[in-house]
Order: sequence, then structure tokens, then C-alpha cells
Amino acid sequence: MPSETEIYLLGLRDKQWIWLATVVFASTFLLASYSALKLRRKTGRPYIVSLVSIGWILQTLGLYARGLQYGGCPLANKFELVQFMVWSTIAIYIFIGPAFRVSLLGLFTSGFACVFSILSMTVSSWDSASRAAIFGDSPWIEAHAALALFSYGVFGLLSLTSAMYLMQSRSLKRKEVVGGLFPFMPSLVELVSINRRLLTMGWIILTVSLGIGYKYFALDTDSVMTIKLAATIVIWLAYGIIFILRARRIFSSKRFSWACIAVFIAALLSLSVVTRNEKREASSAESASVSNYCDPRAS
Amino acid sequence: MSQGGDSLVVLTINHETAPLAVRETYAVADEDAVRLYELASSTNAAEELLVLNTCNRFELYARLREASETDTLVAAIADFHGKPASELEQVLHLRSGREAIQHLIEVSAGLRSQITGEVEIFGQVKVAYATSKENGYTGKALNRIFQKGFQAAKLIRNSTQIGEGQINISNVAVELAGKIFGSLANAATLSLGTGEIGEKTVKALRSRGARRFGIASRQRERAESIVGQWGGRPHTIADLETYLPEYDIVIASVGTEQAILNERLVERGLGRRDDRPLFLIDLGLPRNIEQACGELDNVFLYNLDDLAAIADENLQERRNAMPQCQRIAAQKAQLIWESLQKRGLT
Repeated sequence: MPSETEIYLLGLRDKQWIWLATVVFASTFLLASYSALKLRRKTGRPYIVSLVSIGWILQTLGLYARGLQYGGCPLANKFELVQFMVWSTIAIYIFIGPAFRVSLLGLFTSGFACVFSILSMTVSSWDSASRAAIFGDSPWIEAHAALALFSYGVFGLLSLTSAMYLMQSRSLKRKEVVGGLFPFMPSLVELVSINRRLLTMGWIILTVSLGIGYKYFALDTDSVMTIKLAATIVIWLAYGIIFILRARRIFSSKRFSWACIAVFIAALLSLSVVTRNEKREASSAESASVSNYCDPRAS
Repeated sequence: MSQGGDSLVVLTINHETAPLAVRETYAVADEDAVRLYELASSTNAAEELLVLNTCNRFELYARLREASETDTLVAAIADFHGKPASELEQVLHLRSGREAIQHLIEVSAGLRSQITGEVEIFGQVKVAYATSKENGYTGKALNRIFQKGFQAAKLIRNSTQIGEGQINISNVAVELAGKIFGSLANAATLSLGTGEIGEKTVKALRSRGARRFGIASRQRERAESIVGQWGGRPHTIADLETYLPEYDIVIASVGTEQAILNERLVERGLGRRDDRPLFLIDLGLPRNIEQACGELDNVFLYNLDDLAAIADENLQERRNAMPQCQRIAAQKAQLIWESLQKRGLT
């Protein structure tokens, strides 16, 4: 088993880095909200992207420190899963988000990151002391897990843009189009296009992840709990169905947005199933050959 | 007229101080402005001069040689209009020193416009400054005041709500279309009826990038005739059901007792188009579009009252921003005034 002695990276422990990142996300959210709602002007996208990027770098350092400490990808409990998902969402916002040209996306993303980060830091049971490697020893299965969570990050961003669509649509329907966030929101047609692209991206990543997971599962069926497998497939199927219904114009944009938010909530809830590891604990005792894949100390 | 000993003055007749009849009397046509410059300059009362003349205001900015020369300038303006100076003094308002600079900033930022926050005035002041400068009537003081004044006006426009939101019905409709479709280049617009307000809205949409238009009238000949002026494809209202699904924005302004677009018609149209939103703008009185159409998913219906209410709200937002704008204008005017004093230009 990897050593659990506390490791300091540049003088700080993993959670201290992550707290710093959370403070940056919270500050960004407050600044962008104050700017839009009180000063009635949008904070320039470059400023928000820069601030969120600083938070993301701090979070990366925190996750890296944790990886060093436990000798593997930090994907072993709910705290780490949520942090990795938030990290993925922010990464997509930073690297792909500018192409969407949505000024309020930074506000929404930093708020999302702040809420989930605080939640994962304050619910102490999520960062369980008995920390077993829930995703096994194979580097492929770690890749499967990382990709799956990355797709959850994409779906997280999708849920935010879906919420934006619903807010914008509601404002236009109710004719509440002066003040608030309305002047800074993108158009409905742009949001529909962004949602379609995000769903496609997330679903492809999740499909690849499941493909890798399937290969592992096919070789060692005992290693994966049925409920965990079922939960993951249900989420994959749900997004697939949304994708098809939307492509065939059976789902309206509004229903599509609600469905994306609902399935993302279900996906978050399914994380508690993913972190259940009774079977893994039994089998992980036998397989002591810990892979160096994704172990920061190995690189 | 007394200006409190300051050499920097502005003499103004505007909509805040004088009725339309008076403004008409003292308006200066662009081609006559040169003569006014020459006349005012020939009095030797001012070292620097600038005439600003718009539909709602006549203003003469001057840096006087002697603080007591204001009356000479007033006499020159009166002479230009062929009126007695005493009559002109009744309607002419004078601001001097720091107040004159604040006035310039407020005028440039649209704070003193009849339509609060309108942007055209900024361009008009810039043109007036450029004209005066090109003809050698401005010097160190007015150059500094106007250049710094423009910066202050830009700051006000960019950092407050003074220019936000549209305040006429056609532009409100166009802004809403932008919030629904983003770029209007791909949004097809149908005008039901050929009235003036419909024409204005079509023009406003065209100016924002809309390319595809349909014009529908009761008579095909009338539609074809209007298409000749506005562009687009002609339709007859009787065939509405056949072409309605092709359009994303529908502007209705037909004189009719009965709604020409009802829920059933719109619902059928929605079934024959992809999931793009449908924006219905009802500019008719009595209303041309059944209210129930607005309840349909992905359909956004705005009538005259809705658009007018939004325009009013936007105007109120602009008015609410006035105190903040005036504070900025006063601060910037003070800074400019102090910098002029340091340079001995007052």
C-alpha cells in the first residue's frame, strides 16, 4: 500500500492547496456576481478566465500533492471524485469555454466549482480515512475512471449551460428582460448550440471510458459491483437517449435542458454507488501489485 | 451677462432652457456656422471658439481674452441672427469655469439630451470640435477641455447604465430578437402588413444583420410593391399557413378586427419547422396575434404594450443612473479645471 505520511508540496498540504483554490473560485464568483448585478456591467472574460485559471492551478497542485501522498490517481473516495469532477469542469471552461464566447459562463462555472468544492471539503465522511483504491490496480481502469469523471465534468458544464438556457427562456417568456443577469446572457440559439456540442463531447468521452472499463470488466467480472456497473450504464444510456431524442427533434430545447440537469444530478448521486467497494476491498487484498500508472511519484 | 470672472464660458440655448420655437429661431445651419465663427472671431473677444449646433441645442464655447467680454460675444450672436442682444439674453444661458466643463461632459455623455443617454450627441460634439480645430479656432485650453471631456464622457458611458437598453419600440424588438437568435443573419423575418411601424422594425432588423425577409399584404400587388422598396419575398396574408414555418421572426401590424395569427395556426407552423424559436411581434391595434400563441413552447410573443413597457423600464434605468453619471462628470470637470489652472489657461 502507498505511504500515508503527509506530503507537503511547496510548503502546503493537499487540502490547503484545495482550500486556496476554493477561495479563488468563491472570490471569482462574488466578483463576477457583484459586477453583473450591482455594477450592472460584465467583468471582462479575460479577467474571469485568468482568475479561474489561478484557482484551477491551485487545485491541480492540491490534487497532485494528494496523488504523491497516496501513490496513485486521487480517485479513491467521494471527496476526490468530486474534486476531480470540478477540476475537469474548470479545465473544459478554461480550454474550450472561450470558443463559446459566453461571458457569464465564468460566473456560473466558478459558482459551481465553489459550491461542490466547499461541499466536498466540509462533509468529512466523504474523505474517508480508510482509503481503499476503489478503481483497482490496472492502469487501464484508472484511465477508465479518470475519463468517466472527466465526462462528468463536461456534463457539469452542460448542466450549467442548460440552466442558463432555462433562465433565459423564462425571462423572455415572462418579459422580465430589464436588469438582473439578462443583459449578459447569450442568445437562446447560441445556448442550444453549445448544449448540443457539450452533450456530444461528454457522451463520446463517457463511451470511451466505458469501452475501456468493459475490457477490464470482461477480463475480471468479479472486480466490478453489479450496482456500480448498472448505475454507470444507466447514466450512459440516459445521456444517449437524450442525445437521440434531441437529434430526432423529439425533445424540445426546454425539455432537453431539464433532462440534462436531471441526469447530471442522477450522475452525482451515482457517485455514492461508485465509491462503494466491498468487492474491491476483498479482491484488492489479493492483488497487491500496485500499478505505477498515474502515480505522480513514478514520473 | 455675468460669468463670475472666468475666461472659459459656454453660451447655450437648448431644449432644457428654451421651447422649440426659440430653438428654431436661433438654430445655425451647418453652412452658416463658418460665418458665425468669423463674426465672433472678428470681435476679438475670444482667443478660442467652438460652435456646437444640433437639432436641440446651440452652444458656443469660448475662452475669452478678458472675463468681461461675454457681452461682446452675445452681441455677435445676436447680430448673426439679426435680433437684439437683449432678446437673445432672455433665452441664452451662461455657464463658466468648472461648470462649463461639467456641462460639456454631460452633453457629450448624453446626460442632457432629450432622449436620456442617446449616443448620437457624442459624435456631433466630436464633429464640432474637429471643425473648430481644423479652422484654427481652438487652442490649448479648448483642446485640453474637449479631449479630456471626451475621455470623461466615454468613462460615463462605459461604466454606468446611461446608454444601456433600447428606448424605442423598434429597437427594443430588435434587441429581443438578438437575445433569442444571436446573429440575425440566419433569422428569417416576416412582416405581416406594410405599415410604418412594421417598416421601421424591418429596417432596424436589417441594420442589425437580418438578411431574409418576407412581406405579406392582403393584396399581392401591394406586397410586391413594398418588396420593391424594402426587399424580400412577397406573400399574401391569405396563404399565411403555407409560408409561416419558414420564418423565425414575425412582425404583425395589420389593421384588422380579428387576430390573423391564432394558436392553431402557430401550433401547426411549429410542427413543420425545426426546433428554432419563434419570435412574434404584435404591433397591431387591435392585436393581430392571439395571446394564447405566447403560451406555446419556444414561442415568444410581445405586443405593443410589452415593448413600450420595456422601453419605459430601460429609460427609467437610464434616469436612475443620472446621479452617478453627474457625480463622475463633476469629479472629472474638477480635475480638468485644476489642470487648466496649473497651466495658466483659465
